[in-house]
Amino acid sequence: MSVEDLYHEALVRLAREATGAGALPAPVGRAAPATVQGTATVENPLCGDRVTVEVRVEGGRITALAHRVRGCVLCEASASLLGRAAVGLGTAEVEASRRAFAALLRDGTPPPPRPLAGLDVFAPVRSVASRHSCVLLPFDALGAALARASPPGTTR
Amino acid sequence: MRRALLEALRADLAGRRTAVLATHLGTGEAQLLHPFDGDGEGAAPALCDAARAAARDDQSRVWSSPEGTVFLRVYNPPVHVVLVGAVHVAQALAPMIGLVGYDVLVVDPRSAFATEARFPGVSLSTEWPDEALARVGLGRRSAVVTMTHDPKIDDPALEAALRSESFYIGALGSKKTQAARRDRLAARGFDETALARLHGPVGLSIGAVSTAEIAVSILSELVACLRKGSSGR
Repeated sequence: MSVEDLYHEALVRLAREATGAGALPAPVGRAAPATVQGTATVENPLCGDRVTVEVRVEGGRITALAHRVRGCVLCEASASLLGRAAVGLGTAEVEASRRAFAALLRDGTPPPPRPLAGLDVFAPVRSVASRHSCVLLPFDALGAALARASPPGTTR
Repeated sequence: MRRALLEALRADLAGRRTAVLATHLGTGEAQLLHPFDGDGEGAAPALCDAARAAARDDQSRVWSSPEGTVFLRVYNPPVHVVLVGAVHVAQALAPMIGLVGYDVLVVDPRSAFATEARFPGVSLSTEWPDEALARVGLGRRSAVVTMTHDPKIDDPALEAALRSESFYIGALGSKKTQAARRDRLAARGFDETALARLHGPVGLSIGAVSTAEIAVSILSELVACLRKGSSGR
């Protein structure tokens, strides 16, 4: 597979859009009673990619997500997909999405359109095993941020 | 030396600021000059020029004028070399830089490589290079050599170095990858004059083969640029 196949147009566009890149704005007014938020940074020690995800959750569903990526285009595209599609998901659905993503990379299992649409853009990454961690890293950061989520103002 | 003068000099050294102590040999009167960022400090322009030349040459000297004879004692901050990429050549080069008497920092966000076990006793950072360089600050006594072969890591470091006054900027890599690198940097707005400061392929042509020999070639070019001026040739 050529470099052009890996970095195909839809994937590069997704990375350039960088949906959700930045930091979460401070909540306006008093937060809803069931609101929790969490932040996590994960890194790939072999390539230096580093992803920070901030997430806000109300009633078990993601209501806001922001990410900061230092990494390759593949990693940026994956984070951008989360920025576009992760709002509205609950923790179980994020975990199911990561499993669907891992299955796509492992054996080409077509990802279902729900709960997270758009994973199929990463199908060409399957044949480059060394890059699997690049695209999974933002999902790992989101999972860690959700696991840490606690009421605002508390520290964990 | 008066206490106030000594304290000012100590502050300059701590802040990595070049200072020249000008002592009038006839009167014993001493004055601290900052030839690169001072406002003249009340000294005669000719004396400031002489102090600047002495600092550039990193060489203390006696200087005479019709007003008298002055000893110019140069206090330059130590040379600081930042190696971007905790790779094999860096493992050989970092201790060599220490032996020559310069400060060295190895930066690599790939934390599997930038480890104490691979670089015993060497200052290490796993920040991204542009973040690390912004934190340590680059000046006239700084040198930056990129060695990861990964544009994602090398390019931000080179951009920071080219925007600074660093006396030596080098990039490991073949002639072919250097051409691609120059194209990328040109697309980022660096003109021919800026790119002429980039040494790549890095190092003097001494026929280096082994990792340690490549380190010698890089260090030789770095010393040449420090002592002989920007081209090092």
